[in-house]
Amino acid sequence: MTSVRHQPRGALARLFSLLIALAACLALTSLMSTASAHGVADGDKGYIQETTGFLFAPFVYLGAKHMVTGYDHLLFLFGVIFFLYKMKDIGIYVTMFAVGHSVTLLFGVLANISVSPYLIDAIIGLSVVYKALDNLGAYQRWFGFQPNTKAATLIFGLFHGFGLATKLQDFQLAPDGLILNLISFNIGVELGQLLALGAILVAMGYWRRTRSFWRHAYTANVVLMSLGFILTGYQLAGFFLV
Amino acid sequence: MYNANKPDPSDLPSTARLLKSTAIAAVTAFAILVTVVLPAEYGVDPTRVGSLFGLTEMGRIKMQLAEEAAADGAAPAEIIVSEHATDAVVQATSVEAAASDETSAAETNASAPAEPAALVWRDEVSFTLAADAAAEYKLVMKEGETATFEWFTDGAKANYDTHADRPGLDYYNYEKGSLARQEGTLTAAFDGSHGWFWRNRSGAPLTITLRTRGEYEEMKKVL
Repeated sequence: MTSVRHQPRGALARLFSLLIALAACLALTSLMSTASAHGVADGDKGYIQETTGFLFAPFVYLGAKHMVTGYDHLLFLFGVIFFLYKMKDIGIYVTMFAVGHSVTLLFGVLANISVSPYLIDAIIGLSVVYKALDNLGAYQRWFGFQPNTKAATLIFGLFHGFGLATKLQDFQLAPDGLILNLISFNIGVELGQLLALGAILVAMGYWRRTRSFWRHAYTANVVLMSLGFILTGYQLAGFFLV
Repeated sequence: MYNANKPDPSDLPSTARLLKSTAIAAVTAFAILVTVVLPAEYGVDPTRVGSLFGLTEMGRIKMQLAEEAAADGAAPAEIIVSEHATDAVVQATSVEAAASDETSAAETNASAPAEPAALVWRDEVSFTLAADAAAEYKLVMKEGETATFEWFTDGAKANYDTHADRPGLDYYNYEKGSLARQEGTLTAAFDGSHGWFWRNRSGAPLTITLRTRGEYEEMKKVL
């Protein structure tokens, strides 16, 4: 795994992925909506503030959009299914994740939990690092034991849900129709998750059939870990600087 | 990797299955793009499915907000309203610009014995908002000054945002909501412009009337 012949290619792959991740971060910050001089936000936040009542399809859409464009959630999901080949296993783990984030999404918004979104997103970044290290077998190597992967997925799912909740709290939802809108949003999150998972699994299906999968599985998880660290650093910087 | 298993070939999908999955994914993605994403983001709905779910309305509103945000780059012209008070409800006891005169004039009005407790408004303005249009009027006030106001529509609720700004602070929120009528007092949290932004989402033209009196320098039309 650490032969000299492999290292230059591995390092290049890592550098390339780091650059892509950086570009993605920058692109995403430019998409975030800002308030105009009259305090009228545009984009999804603006739409939410201009409407009232229970709006099923719009909230389902918003939930799906949050999941599909939530690269931190997608990276964790990618890490979770990386070495899962049977649909049954994938189903179990994805359900653990879904249960976790649904609970804290609903609880976080309804109980109006007030946590810094930067801190939560930093923890989500660390969840990606955790999963990558888990895939590398680091815990068995370092500590001699393997933490329960299902439990880890559920627990980190709880943090992902808080992350979703802070994004939704930012929208300043009206109390009118809140619970129904929240449930619709949650349904959307699960739909978005299924869509993203489908795309990931198709891509993984192709990759796993090649020899390069097993050869590069290690490097791929190192890249995943780097992306997790970048996310964590980016969010912590936001916490201290903003 | 020490806890991972190399995939057993029987666990992996066949080439045929993968290609079929890719085709399904591509078709699904296109269908979602056209029926869901285009309506919800851009208000474009070629199949009419988006309208069925109310997604096209979402996209339409978002596009409008985006246009307004872009147009916001140019500083809006501020028109002084106080000099153009339109209604006879505003008393002829002409209020001078100096603050001290304003307070004494208000006190005079309050103690005038012959009149019944008729409200004397300093400024009144009435305007009609087309569907989805917005307007904004503000009072120039010093910190701590209090103005009394009432505003009402000719029927439907208007989305309102009572807020303030000053050089260096674009937006300071007092209150937001959706009402057909509101009356009360507004106390300035700092030296600046304090007032109301209204948006008509009722789907039909809406006439709003605003009346103010109290401690402020002037009323200006911001939007």
